[in-house]
Amino acid sequence: MGRQRGGPVIELRNCSKRYPSQLGQAAVDALEGVDLTIRPEEFVCLLGPSGCGKTTLLKAIAGLVSLDEGEVYIDGDLVTGPGPDRAMVFQDFALLPWADVVTNVAFGLELRGVPKATREKKAFELVQAVGLAGFDHHFPRQLSGGMQQRVGLARALAVDPQILLMDEPFGALDALTRRLLQEDLLTLLDRRRKTVVFVTHSMDEAVRLGDRVVLMTPRPGQVRDIVEVGLPRPRPPDLEKHPRFAELLEYLWQQLREMRP
Amino acid sequence: MNYALNGRLGTGRLAKRTTRAGLQALSLATFALGWELLARRLDSLLLPGFVETIAALVRLLTTSLLWEAVWLSNQAMVLGFSLAAVFGILLGLLMGRWRPAARYLDPYLNILLATPKAALIPIVIMATGLGLLSRVLITFSYALVVITINVRAGLSLIDPGWIEMSRSFGATESQLWRKVFIRGAFPAILTGLRLGLARAVSGMITVELLLVALGLGRLILDFQGRFDSGRLYATVLVVVAEAVALLQLFRWLERRVAPWAGNGVDR
Repeated sequence: MGRQRGGPVIELRNCSKRYPSQLGQAAVDALEGVDLTIRPEEFVCLLGPSGCGKTTLLKAIAGLVSLDEGEVYIDGDLVTGPGPDRAMVFQDFALLPWADVVTNVAFGLELRGVPKATREKKAFELVQAVGLAGFDHHFPRQLSGGMQQRVGLARALAVDPQILLMDEPFGALDALTRRLLQEDLLTLLDRRRKTVVFVTHSMDEAVRLGDRVVLMTPRPGQVRDIVEVGLPRPRPPDLEKHPRFAELLEYLWQQLREMRP
Repeated sequence: MNYALNGRLGTGRLAKRTTRAGLQALSLATFALGWELLARRLDSLLLPGFVETIAALVRLLTTSLLWEAVWLSNQAMVLGFSLAAVFGILLGLLMGRWRPAARYLDPYLNILLATPKAALIPIVIMATGLGLLSRVLITFSYALVVITINVRAGLSLIDPGWIEMSRSFGATESQLWRKVFIRGAFPAILTGLRLGLARAVSGMITVELLLVALGLGRLILDFQGRFDSGRLYATVLVVVAEAVALLQLFRWLERRVAPWAGNGVDR
């Protein structure tokens, strides 16, 4: 590991969430009795088929979803809503179409009342860091999907959170763009040291990025297994050739196959 | 290489714009010529030629008669439209974000939308008399609905994802309103105001023609009664010019403050 540093611990205790039945649809047990502890500066991937409640779990940590039972604690403090220690990256990017790249990246800081000059300076730095130099005054609709998510990532990093919550951030991107963004994400985090909770339905992505993979079952969403990845960091470019990589993928695939309804 | 390319693109765009302006000028010139020829051929007292109308317009513009009428008419229009803007935006925001309000107010909005508003004029005048108030209320009722509907439609385009994103960064309720709802609905609000203004102008003229003989409406009726077709046409031209100028002003404003909206719905 070698990453025992400061930073908060995230603790999920007996978390349950049920979405009530709506017209023509049965009630859904999104989460049932989930216990999980995430260590400081750890990169945890929540992996599971669609509808297994992994996004609900992430939003519970973000303070955007209220649980029916159980609690989320960050460094021992009960989570009751969003907070400055956390920032989120969204699957559909959630960029404001009327704002240019710099204004979008600075939006989190703007909401926190940071003066315009300060926040734009910070945003400008992050636009460079995520590889979008020269696109400061482009609007979202002028950017490709991959570039839009770079903006989303820069917006989250701009508020300098201790915890980065990522909800299938690369799910909407093509395979090549996805790989590039995975590599760039790891490089960015190398220099920043954050706790990351990353939701994905790609086994490959979970193993490439995570320190641990939390495997979840669908309906009710429960933790089925937690796997230590144990691959070297920084991750080598030829990670596929590592025997552990193939072994992990095989194991995860077996597990997921057994879950098939 | 690069410069040459840029240069060509630049002149290309300019050429396109010049062509468009040229075609529009040609269209207006054809219309004026057709009008003049038709008038000469008919040689009737009832249809003045284009040249005669323009001459009458120039004479009218130098008299206080026209300017007093413009001033009188526009008082009611400006007051009625401003009221409609304030209430229309507030109602639209309320109905767009709060479902019970939408349910409660929908019938009234639909009634106002469906009723020929000229039918309301006698009622308003019976209730409030022939003064400024009745004319303000009528221009108000002409403009209100279209503003409300556009503001509400603008809010329906707000992506729930933007709201969740803002909340995740700790947005307060008032920040959400200012930085997401109103900001996001801004192009639609401007479109609503532009269309509302057009309605207000038509409300202003309608009431003056139908019941309260005053201002521009009264001028039109007077010239009609005296078979002074030159000045009659000239006055109508003034009304048209005012409406077109106001709409163009708003369109220009829309493009300036909402460049991200690109090609709007209504152009």
